[in-house]
Amino acid sequence: MATEKMLTGCAAAAQGAKFAEVEVICSYPIRPYTAIMMELAKMVANGELDAEFVHGEGEHAQLSVVLGASAAGARAYTGSSGVGVAYAFEVYSPMSGGRYPVQMAIADRALDPPGDFGSEHTDAMSTRDQGWLMGWACSPQEVFDNTLMAYRIGEDPRVLLPQMVCQDGYFVSHIPDKVVLPDVSQVKEFLPPYNPPHPLDPRKPYSHGPQIRPDQGAPMDAQRASAFLEVPKVIKEVTEEFNRIFGRNYDPFLEKYKLDDAEIAFFIQGAHANTCRKVVDKLRSSGVKAGMCRLRWVRPWPTHEIAEALAGIKAVGTIETSTSYGGAMRGGNLIHELRATLYDLPDNERPLVTSFMAGLGGETIWPKDFMYMAEVLSNMVKENRTKKYVYWIGLEPEE
Amino acid sequence: MKDFDYKYQTFDRIKSYRNAPREEYYVPGHRTCAGCGPALCYRLVAKAAGKDTIFVGPTGCMYVANSSYLCTPYAVPWTHAQITNGGAVASGVEAAYKVLMRKGKYDGSFPNIIVMAGDGGSVDIGLQAMSALMYRGHKVLFICYDNESYANTGIQTSPTTSYGANTTFTPPGKLIPEGKTLFPKDPPQLVIGGHPLVKYVATANVGYPTDLMNKVRKALSYESPTFMHILCPCPKGWKFDEKLTAEMGKLAVQTGLWTQYEWENGEYKFSHIPKKYKPVDEYLKHQGRFGHLKKEHIAKLQAFADAKKEWAKKAAVSPIEVVAQVPAG
Amino acid sequence: MPRNLPEYGKIAIPKEREVPLGAVTPAPVRVQKLHITSPWRIYRPVIDHEKCTRCLNCYIFCPDACWEYNEENDEMELNLEFCKGCLICIQECPAEALTPVHELEFEGGVVRLDNPF
Repeated sequence: MATEKMLTGCAAAAQGAKFAEVEVICSYPIRPYTAIMMELAKMVANGELDAEFVHGEGEHAQLSVVLGASAAGARAYTGSSGVGVAYAFEVYSPMSGGRYPVQMAIADRALDPPGDFGSEHTDAMSTRDQGWLMGWACSPQEVFDNTLMAYRIGEDPRVLLPQMVCQDGYFVSHIPDKVVLPDVSQVKEFLPPYNPPHPLDPRKPYSHGPQIRPDQGAPMDAQRASAFLEVPKVIKEVTEEFNRIFGRNYDPFLEKYKLDDAEIAFFIQGAHANTCRKVVDKLRSSGVKAGMCRLRWVRPWPTHEIAEALAGIKAVGTIETSTSYGGAMRGGNLIHELRATLYDLPDNERPLVTSFMAGLGGETIWPKDFMYMAEVLSNMVKENRTKKYVYWIGLEPEE
Repeated sequence: MKDFDYKYQTFDRIKSYRNAPREEYYVPGHRTCAGCGPALCYRLVAKAAGKDTIFVGPTGCMYVANSSYLCTPYAVPWTHAQITNGGAVASGVEAAYKVLMRKGKYDGSFPNIIVMAGDGGSVDIGLQAMSALMYRGHKVLFICYDNESYANTGIQTSPTTSYGANTTFTPPGKLIPEGKTLFPKDPPQLVIGGHPLVKYVATANVGYPTDLMNKVRKALSYESPTFMHILCPCPKGWKFDEKLTAEMGKLAVQTGLWTQYEWENGEYKFSHIPKKYKPVDEYLKHQGRFGHLKKEHIAKLQAFADAKKEWAKKAAVSPIEVVAQVPAG
Repeated sequence: MPRNLPEYGKIAIPKEREVPLGAVTPAPVRVQKLHITSPWRIYRPVIDHEKCTRCLNCYIFCPDACWEYNEENDEMELNLEFCKGCLICIQECPAEALTPVHELEFEGGVVRLDNPF
């Protein structure tokens, strides 16, 4: 029977892993994701979850252990935050290239230097081109749901790719919220057991990952790229089925909040959407036609869905909770892909696009910050021009 | 959970070459150099381990030269690992088998899980993962096939490269006449020295195949992690005539530069100790990598070999107390 | 697409360039036919069955598993498809039953690869 509980994002992720009946878990402590592993360690110690709990000697090892486990045919789970995500870097590509659908929970945290526990998406965003599916949640409930959905999508024979289930450190990972936990039978209906095509099994020997010739390199890359062409279809199917079985109402790719008649819009991922929604309501009540578009998946990037959702809006501002030093717009990452996404819209429907560096290093994005952004966007509409590529919230020179 | 009764494999002792299994699981058709010591080692290990085996192969010669162009010589399941993470990938494979067998998803007996890592993948860049595997107690045999260099990248020095070796990173020159100035790391001692769950560590050598195969079998019969350090002479890297591969292994033992032993539950057992040791020069003279050495350098290597012999003598008669062992029972 | 946006397109890997999913390939059985190594050989070990004592040294020391003992006719057999000519077997033979013979001495001896990789 479904039950309702107050859970942090970390506890919700651990519950998700438990309902998914993960078989091999590999841990290494780093704040803030580490609370997920603390929860799972208890479940294993109490016999609530029959899994091997391996104490990795670092994040690189965490990824390596779950790679081996997945290759041998077990459903595997790991996670990290911040510099830990960076330390594991070598293994991201072998994981996706070898088509091992492990799951990595990430509670986003800023990278060093200097040490900073604060929430920021730069950790996971730095790995965005390694062939992993990457989704962002904005509430503990969504963390739980994404955990199950990501396994189902990643283990689909048309996909077979590893998944990052990301949540903002602290804002989601450590703030309790209501989470509906399903009945086991619902999960059984939704998530079949992991059944890899060629596990490391002495009864049917296969070689995993021999070297290739240069002329085999492009086909290997194309194989992963082709999988990403299939993924959107699978995400749609799986989300619909999830909504049906669990009684939710997710749009597969985007949360479109009051976008239909909007003139200005915030383009956002993760927890700050929760504040953003409130500000949109406030702006609406004062006559500003504002809306919000929240990314549920960053990989695959839902190009067509975004273009359709934002077409006709006059000005869009990306909320950049990650950095891209020296990048095209000298700010964050989202604006690059958003501008590329909107490029092919007809002239009269293509929004002006700027970006806001906000929520970096763990800072809260306050309602007043969103109000400031709305003002910038409204001015862009008024002047019909993008004056600047990037605004650093709280750090802008006085005009 | 801990009470689950895993089905383990058992092995007979190989008494002679004729008695060794005829089946090959490291089959002909690979690009290792003619006379490759590590390839011979791989073949003997695979033969001893048998069909019910999974190999984890971190990057190194035995990855690059064996698994080329989307085909491999491994007749049993094999997976590549990064040069960094052989120990970790093997830990994952082992953990998977534990849980899958417990859940009734795999009904065979527990497969042999063997990491075949080079010296770099064992005690240099791979040290962390190897040590963690040994510490955590996975049922894995970690083999360091030691050809004393990073060979597939063009013979660069590794931590097990001998003092005085000419490698592409330690070329002898006016200021550094001996080439490599450092003495090597000691892989088995690294493992013995601080991993309480390890009960069996052995050294072996492609010059002594039956001994090698029996040590592999003994290692595989343990339910805890085991480690083997296997000397694999490398004709290309050491610059000797490729027909002398096994001979180099024997000469290393006869000169005292290599010691054959087993360490089992805290006790050493030595084998192949010659009645009279040959001078190290008998070994060095075949190898181009030592061709530049002067008398004083060779004297240092002789002293190194002498110290090893002394250590073996002491260890054999009075087992060295092992600290921090897991309490019995 | 109502707005006529560009498509992602499709990727067509030609049959001859297809690669296995995730670079996972079937394990070889007995030999890896895709790597015939005989063309490396300069000298071929030739056996004198009269002198051979069947000690199996050649068999056990071959890195390429090229020697096999044929029980039926009680003879050692060399797999010429894969022997690289390292001559370890000659070095390890205690009976002097093996001699190196240059490949040019054999009809159809040295075979060179048409496509060296």
